[in-house]
Amino acid sequence: MSRFSTLAAFACLFAATARAEDPRVDYMLQCQGCHLADGSGAPGAVPDLRGSLGRFLAVPGGREYLVRVPGAAQSALTDQRLAAVLDWMIREFGPEEAAADLEPYRAEEVAGWRAKPYAEVQTVRRELLSRIDARSAPSR
Amino acid sequence: MSRLDAWFARGARQLARGTSRRGFLAWLGALVAGVAAAPLLPVARAGAVREPAPGEPDPGTPVGDPDDCAYWRYCAIDGFLASCCGGTHRSCPPGTEMSPLTWIGTCQNPVDGKHYVVSYNDCCGKNSCGRCFCQRNEGDKPVYIPNKSNDIDWCMGKAGVIYNSTVAVVIGVSTEKG
Repeated sequence: MSRFSTLAAFACLFAATARAEDPRVDYMLQCQGCHLADGSGAPGAVPDLRGSLGRFLAVPGGREYLVRVPGAAQSALTDQRLAAVLDWMIREFGPEEAAADLEPYRAEEVAGWRAKPYAEVQTVRRELLSRIDARSAPSR
Repeated sequence: MSRLDAWFARGARQLARGTSRRGFLAWLGALVAGVAAAPLLPVARAGAVREPAPGEPDPGTPVGDPDDCAYWRYCAIDGFLASCCGGTHRSCPPGTEMSPLTWIGTCQNPVDGKHYVVSYNDCCGKNSCGRCFCQRNEGDKPVYIPNKSNDIDWCMGKAGVIYNSTVAVVIGVSTEKG
């Protein structure tokens, strides 16, 4: 009897892994039209997420930036599911260090930030990118 | 954490003690042979249908005409059908280029009842096709929600490229309408 319970435990583990595909479908339906399946986007119009998305988490204001950008803040997702999509995207598009250090988004913080979407997203983006550059410059 | 480790270790040991390795090999051999032989059975052959491409529903099932607006995967299309213009429902006509940017929604396949994630990519070229105009707007939203609006010309971003027609590519399966 006990070996069946062990097998059942393994089966449950697999079932839990299979459910993790939900944020991927939410990404497809809410983001992929512009950001594309591989996150590469369109030069000059849609930012390339690959190896860059998670860098925002390393600078002040970056964590809320990913929630307050129009596409995220105004998406049709619930706070919980938006949090899950952001976590999924950071793990999927990296960079690896950011994915490894990721503190998952909480629905409450997402709710607070998305209520204040940016009107001038480009200005905020430029500021954050210069902070990211300043941070990585000394190591070069 | 160590309690979980111990629990799994105990489970694995019990499994190893309680099962015969040779018995397992025999069982595995029978399974492999059985799976290989199953398609030879007449009953299996009667039910055999062509395997669908990954993510695509079964192409062998008669679910409608891809040249008809009523075809299930066109549930949110707004434009000319690429399949009427020299392409197919999944590929653009020769001489046109598929826009990478697109809008994505779900359509329910009446055969299996599943909500498939469909990407409506515009085909962009030198002229507009003008045939098989279809307008079905399930899930369509006003243009102020641009990622859910089918009124947008997704050939934008390429200078001098004109909208020709639209394809409907299945890219996944959703558990719900979206």
